[in-house]
Amino acid sequence: MASNEQIINETKTFINIETNICKSIYVHIPFCTNICSYCDFCKYFYNEKMVDDYLNALEKEINAKYKNEVIETIYVGGGTPTSLSYAQLSRLLDILKKINVDNLEYTVEINVENIDEDKIKLLSSYGVNRISIGVQTFNEKYLKLLNRKHNKEQVITAINMIKKYISNINIDLIYALPGQTLEELNKDIDEFIALDIPHISTYSLIIEEHTILNNNNVENIDEELDYEMYKLICKRLKEYDHYEISNFGKIKSRHNLTYWNNEHYYGFGLGASGYIDNIRYTNTRSLNNYINGKYIIEEEELDFNETIENLFILGFRKTNGINIDDTLNKYHINILDIDIVKELIKEKKLLVENNNLKINKDYIYTSNDILTNFLGGNYERYIQE
Amino acid sequence: MKQENIRNFSIIAHIDHGKSTLADRILEETGAVTERERKDQLLDNMDIERERGITIKLNAVQLNYNYKNEDYVLHLIDTPGHVDFTYEVSRSLAACEGALLVVDAAQGIEAQTLANLYQALDNNLKIIPVINKIDLPNADIEKVKNELINTVGFDEDEIILCSAKTGVGIKELIEAIIERIPAPKGNENEPLQALIFDSYFDSYRGIVTLLRIVNGKVKVGDKIKMLATNCVYDVVELGINNPEEKKVKELTTGEVGYLCASIKSINDVKVGDTITLANRPCKEPLAGYKPMKPMVFCGLFPVESSKFPELREALEKLKLNDASLEFEPETSQALGFGFRCGFLGLLHMEIIEERIEREFNIDLIATSPSVVYEVELTDKSIVMVDSPVKMPDRQRIQDIKEPYIRTNIFVPSNYIGPIMELCQNKRGNYVSMEYIDTTRVNIHYEIPLSEIVYDFFDKLKSYTKGYASFDYELIGYKSSNLVKMDILLNGEIVDALSLIVHKDFAYTRGKAIVENLRKLIPRQQFEIPVQAVIGTKAIARSDIKAVRKNVLAKCYGGDVSRKRKLLEKQKEGKKRMKMVGSVEVPQEAFLSVLSMDEE
Repeated sequence: MASNEQIINETKTFINIETNICKSIYVHIPFCTNICSYCDFCKYFYNEKMVDDYLNALEKEINAKYKNEVIETIYVGGGTPTSLSYAQLSRLLDILKKINVDNLEYTVEINVENIDEDKIKLLSSYGVNRISIGVQTFNEKYLKLLNRKHNKEQVITAINMIKKYISNINIDLIYALPGQTLEELNKDIDEFIALDIPHISTYSLIIEEHTILNNNNVENIDEELDYEMYKLICKRLKEYDHYEISNFGKIKSRHNLTYWNNEHYYGFGLGASGYIDNIRYTNTRSLNNYINGKYIIEEEELDFNETIENLFILGFRKTNGINIDDTLNKYHINILDIDIVKELIKEKKLLVENNNLKINKDYIYTSNDILTNFLGGNYERYIQE
Repeated sequence: MKQENIRNFSIIAHIDHGKSTLADRILEETGAVTERERKDQLLDNMDIERERGITIKLNAVQLNYNYKNEDYVLHLIDTPGHVDFTYEVSRSLAACEGALLVVDAAQGIEAQTLANLYQALDNNLKIIPVINKIDLPNADIEKVKNELINTVGFDEDEIILCSAKTGVGIKELIEAIIERIPAPKGNENEPLQALIFDSYFDSYRGIVTLLRIVNGKVKVGDKIKMLATNCVYDVVELGINNPEEKKVKELTTGEVGYLCASIKSINDVKVGDTITLANRPCKEPLAGYKPMKPMVFCGLFPVESSKFPELREALEKLKLNDASLEFEPETSQALGFGFRCGFLGLLHMEIIEERIEREFNIDLIATSPSVVYEVELTDKSIVMVDSPVKMPDRQRIQDIKEPYIRTNIFVPSNYIGPIMELCQNKRGNYVSMEYIDTTRVNIHYEIPLSEIVYDFFDKLKSYTKGYASFDYELIGYKSSNLVKMDILLNGEIVDALSLIVHKDFAYTRGKAIVENLRKLIPRQQFEIPVQAVIGTKAIARSDIKAVRKNVLAKCYGGDVSRKRKLLEKQKEGKKRMKMVGSVEVPQEAFLSVLSMDEE
């Protein structure tokens, strides 16, 4: 029998070969023309010169890191990518055009207030085939609270225009807004359904530190109501596949599935995160450092145990859970052997269905309680030779 | 040193009346420390003492002073000011012939000062009244003088005015100590009789005892015997503190110093015991002390159950110079293995807990404090019950008696109303009230000790904006209509949360506790009923709703590390809780009965 160390080394090599295939790229555009009150992500007010410098730096970073893999999903997020001028947007798309792609899902996040038909045409002509719109709510009262500058009519007009070029559209919807009632949420869902688009991401509002809402001492709504809202959303969106805690789609987001499947991906741009060669890294949030080529601020090489830990934390976000055979092929462990898995199956918190291990849907909205069980586990001992 | 040139004294003062500063100034004036070495509160060694501005353990220092061409040796034995440490005070007073009664020129006499003063008078000590802080802009020297004359009976010309801050009157004070406090009696040719008034553990030298030589003398190399324990040791080291340790060859009648004899077992040394010479023993032990009986009990449990042996060791070491601390092993279904500990009072309890956590690095869960109940059973036998868990079945109980105290509450007369309201709420019976002067009164109530143990101090402070000072004496046991109240979590009794309450107050208290627990215990995967019951009758109930939402939010740009950190934080939080049955309970919950609003 091989020694433990040998097994681990062999497994590591094995993971390197099998999971190192990077098929996804995230690109962060940290500029906005307006700051939303709930946002704690990396963003700067739009400034023409700054954006030009940034795009140059972004090109450099991509050139330095990208190793010509065949890429299947690109996601350009923000910030607000469409805050860029037409010329800057073209420049960005040109930079990304050098990427080697196949069967590409190409998503760009847009904001209703700075999109027009020309920009959409431009995106479409570069192969962008998925649009994600930060609508958040159709209710004027809450749009104001979130410091969003659009209204319902603008959203509807924009979506109808976009549909002429790109049909795979997602909107983000925020619920559990301070003061929101079930009726108000219900109306938002009505508006969404009427738009007849294939995908929606719904998030309950979290008041993070360093946000305008937090500074204004806005408080979260009651947990019971939040839960009722979640149930209402699930009920109303029956037509859509509820494939991830917060995502409902007739067409799934392949890019986001990369994260949840614990696969490798590049993160380019300010504050972006990536996962390459078993290293999870986060880029700097300092524009200055970034432009000067100091990209990464934090990186952590994952060992086998941490890799499996992430497999669970991420995989259980999917309502279908984690595929047992895939895990066996990729990591050489049968997840059903794991003691804590057995225990949680016995408690009916986890279920096995169609060769998948998943969280019982009664527990999915409280899944952290289940996930914490997987932190710090020793999974090496389950490795099969 | 000639015996007639020795003076042993201590200082009695209320917290904040400047005792430690005065001690510092005396040390400086006698040259024991120079200005350069001066740091505040030289005698308060422990961090807790400096931080809280109180003295807990006693200290003894030797000072030299030349007065009228004679060399004098003064031993200053520092005393704690708080009522909980009356025992420590009595120990230091027994080693002295005199005491300074220090009163703040702006505050006047306080409740605790009086208690200690009466003890000093009981010990036949010569008292020197001192009004300190006379430099304060709001000093009212005449008023405080009158208080000293009227309430204690001093003559006006006995009173010394000084300011420890500016140094005014310090010289006069030292000379008064020499002039007025008698030299120690005793005969250095008699067999050795030395009183152990304190001891502590030193990792290099073993147990160090602090002693006062009453008769005879002791030299390095002498074989000594402890009278109570009959243990024999060779004296390895003798010394004095001035305030740094200084080795000496012998200690003689009237002197105060320390002794090391490679004593390893803490059981061999009892504070209050008499040390004599093995080959020439004294006939009788010194009077020693009456150890104070602990009045407040609580359970102390290590958060990590593996630390139980360390907790035992910590308690043993603390008991070494704190005879009033009592402990015995206790097992709780909810908290595992720990100790039932007895304390002199609440402050004593707090200090011990804090010292265990700080000096021994053991995280503790403390259960709510209880007093000792005297329970008469139907078969007429009497049992003393120091824990609600040990309370016999109701069917077997004939009568329950609880300890009562008599208060001295010193307070400006415009707060009489609020104080009476407070005491009434605490089941107090009014006894009497005296005017100390035209604006301050001393209010006497008889109140069950168990009520003081809850939140009396905090309430007293908030009712009087901090102007009240409070002291109490135990006056005995009285029958009360008491019942045991159990707290159920998820249908199971949590033994560590049981308490004894007066029947008339059971409903409000039960409601408050249940409500408090509902707020303190985080939501869990299932709904948890919290109930207060007496026997089988539920008197209050509140439900902790099941957790509805505990899920990671949007994964911005695939930032997985951040999510993991969030989960790790949640996991850490869980670790600090105790599993009680199937419910995770945070540490604070076990003390929740203390901090409740009775609205």
